Amino acid sequence: MGDRALSGDDEQTVEGSRRPVVTDETSAVAVLCDGMTVGVGGFINAAHPMALVRQLVRRRLKELTVVGAASSGLDVDLLVACGCVAKVVAPYVGAEGLAPIGPAFRHAAQQGLIEVWELDEALYYAGLRASSQRLPFNPWRAGVGTSYPCINPDLKEFEDPIRGERLLAVPAIEIDVALIHAAVSDRYGNVQHDGTGYGDRAIHAAADVTIVQVEQLISPERIRRNPAATSVAGADRVVRAPYGAHPFGSEGYYPPDREHLGEYVDAAQELLRTGSRSRLDAYLARYVLEPRDHVEYLEQVGLRRLVELSEY
Amino acid sequence: MPDARPEGEGRMSQTAAEAPASPFELMATALAHDLEDGEWVEVGANLPVPRAAALLAHLTHGPNMTIMLAMTKAYLRDEPLIEEFELITDVRAQRWAEAYYPHDRLLSEMRFRRRGVFFCGGIQIDQFGNSNLIGIGHDHRRLAFRGPGAIGTCNATVHNGRYHLVTNEHSARVLVERCDYVSALGFGDGTPGLREELGLGNEGPRYIVTPLCVFDFHLETHRARLRSLHPGVELARVVEHTGFAFEVPDPVPITPAPSPHELSILRERIDAQGRLRGAAAG
Repeated sequence: MGDRALSGDDEQTVEGSRRPVVTDETSAVAVLCDGMTVGVGGFINAAHPMALVRQLVRRRLKELTVVGAASSGLDVDLLVACGCVAKVVAPYVGAEGLAPIGPAFRHAAQQGLIEVWELDEALYYAGLRASSQRLPFNPWRAGVGTSYPCINPDLKEFEDPIRGERLLAVPAIEIDVALIHAAVSDRYGNVQHDGTGYGDRAIHAAADVTIVQVEQLISPERIRRNPAATSVAGADRVVRAPYGAHPFGSEGYYPPDREHLGEYVDAAQELLRTGSRSRLDAYLARYVLEPRDHVEYLEQVGLRRLVELSEY
Repeated sequence: MPDARPEGEGRMSQTAAEAPASPFELMATALAHDLEDGEWVEVGANLPVPRAAALLAHLTHGPNMTIMLAMTKAYLRDEPLIEEFELITDVRAQRWAEAYYPHDRLLSEMRFRRRGVFFCGGIQIDQFGNSNLIGIGHDHRRLAFRGPGAIGTCNATVHNGRYHLVTNEHSARVLVERCDYVSALGFGDGTPGLREELGLGNEGPRYIVTPLCVFDFHLETHRARLRSLHPGVELARVVEHTGFAFEVPDPVPITPAPSPHELSILRERIDAQGRLRGAAAG
């Protein structure tokens, strides 16, 4: 786009031009459909791609397999609360002290409304690694002798052919579309996290398609100043979403919005305690379904609240 | 030692500083006494007792210990006040960090953990040292109580050089005969040599540390047995609140209380916010 002009009208024309991958959240999630396996990055109360997650809910997608983060947060809880999820792959869903177990997740799991693919964090990364390596499984030792192979029969105990040890075969966790939140990207999808990025690289590597929402779009020159920091080299789509992880934190930008998370937790706990969805539905209407896009969500949260969020 | 606290915050009156150790402070001290210089101690999310234990050992006798806090590797002996963070993702922990681990690296690189010590909790812990974070109920597809999940405990209890079980609640609901599900394997059903046969890399849980007492495990039967009662705790109370029968030594040793020096380190540098001084359940 436009770069063609750079070649000028020399006799030797260079064919084609580099394609930017920047789009908005509405177009970005158009690639998703019912029944897909969706990976969601971040870690407990940090860096979940909420602008994309809320857009996914607005599309009323159903029967998703959600691969949360190794320790996923109330992002997965929200997707379960919205009825988008058939199966959860995550060793933890919760918010630490704010909600030790995700209330809507717990409710759905206890009612048998969702399937939980039970595993531990190391087994989770073994599964992602198998997918990224295009292998049927990765072996892992821890888990042998526990309840995991019983409550998740996809985990198979086997005798390793090299030393004859008893190991678990963890099937590849193959992700159709990974959704990730990061600090910055250039327009070509070269993404850099602030901080470590938790398990986002592993989720990206296990996915066919990666959509990254970023706090800021920056120039390719700035990305090239520190290429070693590029965590996702070539996202398929990049969405500019300032405050896009809200109500979770985004390293280098803002901490979790505890008050807002508390509002969600209270609403979801009412569902768990009483079976009544009224408060939860009011929350979802106000913050997820009525705003048409990310900007309208931020308007609903309010500028003052957003500006008040400070890491230090 | 300079006092880095803002004025009016966390400064204790003389009486509060001299109050006897709380159950959580006793637990932290018992665990700290067991930790050795040179070990790696990873403190997970929202676990004030293991955090305090690791820091107390580091500050008193562990100059070469590595403390892994909120996914960082830290050396903290020169810090006058070690602020506590409620969330594992709190970026302020990075001020002490010598390294900051991507999470997938922490869960992939296992070889260095031979020097590691881990603390494992449980919604149930049984007499054979198995831990359950999966849930309570007979049908795992419709649990009566869905637990938080293993998180990383299934793995950490295999790959660290050793580990302890820790519970903040001493009750017959937590300390049971057999766990409904096992997310971190201790000694299974007590079969001798089980962990070796399964190729698990350590000798299994060493202690169960509770607000009332410390259990260890019989070397042959692998059943939990009383190791010591915390000061002031009656044996009858432990029996009443424990869901399994256990062997009792005669006489019953008393868990060593923190020294005045240890208590002042705990209260002034490690736990200035006083989370350990709250009441324990059980």
